[in-house]
Amino acid sequence: MDDLERDIKALIIDALKLEDIQPDDIDSREMLFGTGLGLDSIDALELGIALRKHYGLRIETITDEVKGHFASVRSLAAFVQDQRKRDGGADAVA
Amino acid sequence: MNLDFRPCAIIPSHNHARAVPEIIAALQARGLPVFVIDDGSDAKIRAALASLHDPINQISVVRLEPNLGKGAAVGHGFQLAMAAGYTHALQIDADGQHDLAALPALLRLAGEHRDALITGVPIYDRSVPLGRAIGRYVTHVWVWIETLSLQIGDSMCGFRIYPLVSVAKLYADGETVGRRMDFDTEIMVRLFWRGVLVIEHQVAVTYPAGNTSNFDLWGDNLRITAMHTRLFFGMLKRLPSILGRRSKQSRHWAWLTERGAYWGLRVWALAYRLLGRRVCLAIMSPVVLYFYLTGTEQRSASSDFLRRVHALKPGPSGAPGVLTGLRHFMSFAGRALDTFIGWVGDMPAEMIRPGKIDDLRVAEREARGALFIIAHLGNVDLARALLDEQTRQRLLILVHTRHAENYNRLLRDFRAEAAINTLQVTDLGPAAAMDLKARVEQGSWVVIAGDRVPVDSSRVVQVPFLGRDAPFSQGPYILGALLDCPVYTLFCVRQGDHFVLDVEKLADRIDLPRGNRDGAVRRYAEIFAQRLEHYALRNPLQWYNFFDFWNPGRKETRS
Repeated sequence: MDDLERDIKALIIDALKLEDIQPDDIDSREMLFGTGLGLDSIDALELGIALRKHYGLRIETITDEVKGHFASVRSLAAFVQDQRKRDGGADAVA
Repeated sequence: MNLDFRPCAIIPSHNHARAVPEIIAALQARGLPVFVIDDGSDAKIRAALASLHDPINQISVVRLEPNLGKGAAVGHGFQLAMAAGYTHALQIDADGQHDLAALPALLRLAGEHRDALITGVPIYDRSVPLGRAIGRYVTHVWVWIETLSLQIGDSMCGFRIYPLVSVAKLYADGETVGRRMDFDTEIMVRLFWRGVLVIEHQVAVTYPAGNTSNFDLWGDNLRITAMHTRLFFGMLKRLPSILGRRSKQSRHWAWLTERGAYWGLRVWALAYRLLGRRVCLAIMSPVVLYFYLTGTEQRSASSDFLRRVHALKPGPSGAPGVLTGLRHFMSFAGRALDTFIGWVGDMPAEMIRPGKIDDLRVAEREARGALFIIAHLGNVDLARALLDEQTRQRLLILVHTRHAENYNRLLRDFRAEAAINTLQVTDLGPAAAMDLKARVEQGSWVVIAGDRVPVDSSRVVQVPFLGRDAPFSQGPYILGALLDCPVYTLFCVRQGDHFVLDVEKLADRIDLPRGNRDGAVRRYAEIFAQRLEHYALRNPLQWYNFFDFWNPGRKETRS
């Protein structure tokens, strides 16, 4: 889990070009949007693109549910794991 | 307001039995009790229908003797349904031409809008006989005139759900409703006159092979003509109240039916082919006048716009009046025609003259794609009609609503290669953004309108336009930043007997720095608005945003 969170932090920094920030500077429970890291809706879109590319997440549009997953690095990690588990399950059946 | 929703179904049948069991099964699967009205069918069909009678399972087969006609049969069904305490009645043809898969959607709409008449609008497959198709079109035009509205797109589809309380009032007031094939249209128009909202839903319609229609070519066409005569005079009598209802508050453009939809354009395109531009415009003038007189909302948007232009740049002919307004509307009709001329292929390439196109040449040489921001001014369609084949392949047009699809369907009918790639975007999410990004990498030219505001208008920026702040969409600039590609504006306006194409770079790449995104978006939107203003001031009659541009969402109602 910690590795995944670290990965996600690196991805956020890379995708959003957050200069002067290291992965360790981001608290996994910190709010990513609004207060906290202070990201906005365009960032959400960019982050969604990066997550799709990197983890193959199925994010079609930024719905309220997606926004919930985007709350913090921790919730994102849970989201990634959850989709992986589901996809893994599907693979096993196939 | 009808609070209750207890629907049942009515199947009028005259010599149709084959498809009825399947229809009943589908209706029952939706929990609908069924009334089959056997309208004087022949002995064999009569027996087949009678065998379906099954009161325990709420299937009643009722026989009318002699044959009275579809309207009478459905009317009898209404009486039975009301007597049994149902609040809504679904009507469906017995010959199996209606797609049963549409049942859930129709019922859901009826449940949500209990005062409204929910009607199927047919999407025909190739099996529709040509004669019927033309007849239907003539009826559409009549209905538009009778209701002074384009709200009813198809009045002849016998697949609908009626609110019985409104139907009961109609009959109680002794209004004439056609008893045969004139029934479907007449009852709908009369309900519409009474203020019943008509909600349309697309349904597939097939004319089953070997189907015998009960449409009596002469008798029913005569009846339909008589009905339209009745309705036309009925309309004249009700003119004040119908017009009163029409002057509703302005709606957001996405809900506006773009006047003269698919069928209308189709007829004009055909006329152009046969008669040419000048004759077409002459024929169109009364229709344009009609739209001018009845299109309150569009007319006031037009005069508001023209007055603003006049205030900034007074023309030689003084303040804009009715005549200028009419010319504005005529210009819109001419634009539609020009587009067809372009696509039908009768317009010589020299009709388009290069204006500022150095930037276009640069874009053409780039393997990587670009973003083009256009406006509803002049005729951008023509620009694309006259692009060379290879360049045209690169175009990917982003559209807001379904009517753009109608338009494409129409163009495809005329020229297969006109099948332009369009992509409907209501919401730019990660999936759509990634897709677009990949296409731009491969060379696509993404085209987006910069002068229409999305339905969800949270992403707008107010910038000065013709002397006052107007809302412009942030979409093109956010998209530009995501695509990370050059951004151009493209204008193509008519000047005398030819068109001038201008393409100008807006930015090599759009940069929206975090922390000052709104400011950056505003600066790009200002550049676009300035260019738009430049063209609007010089070509005011080629401005085709017939809605309140400065307050698009004002008094928004979804009727």
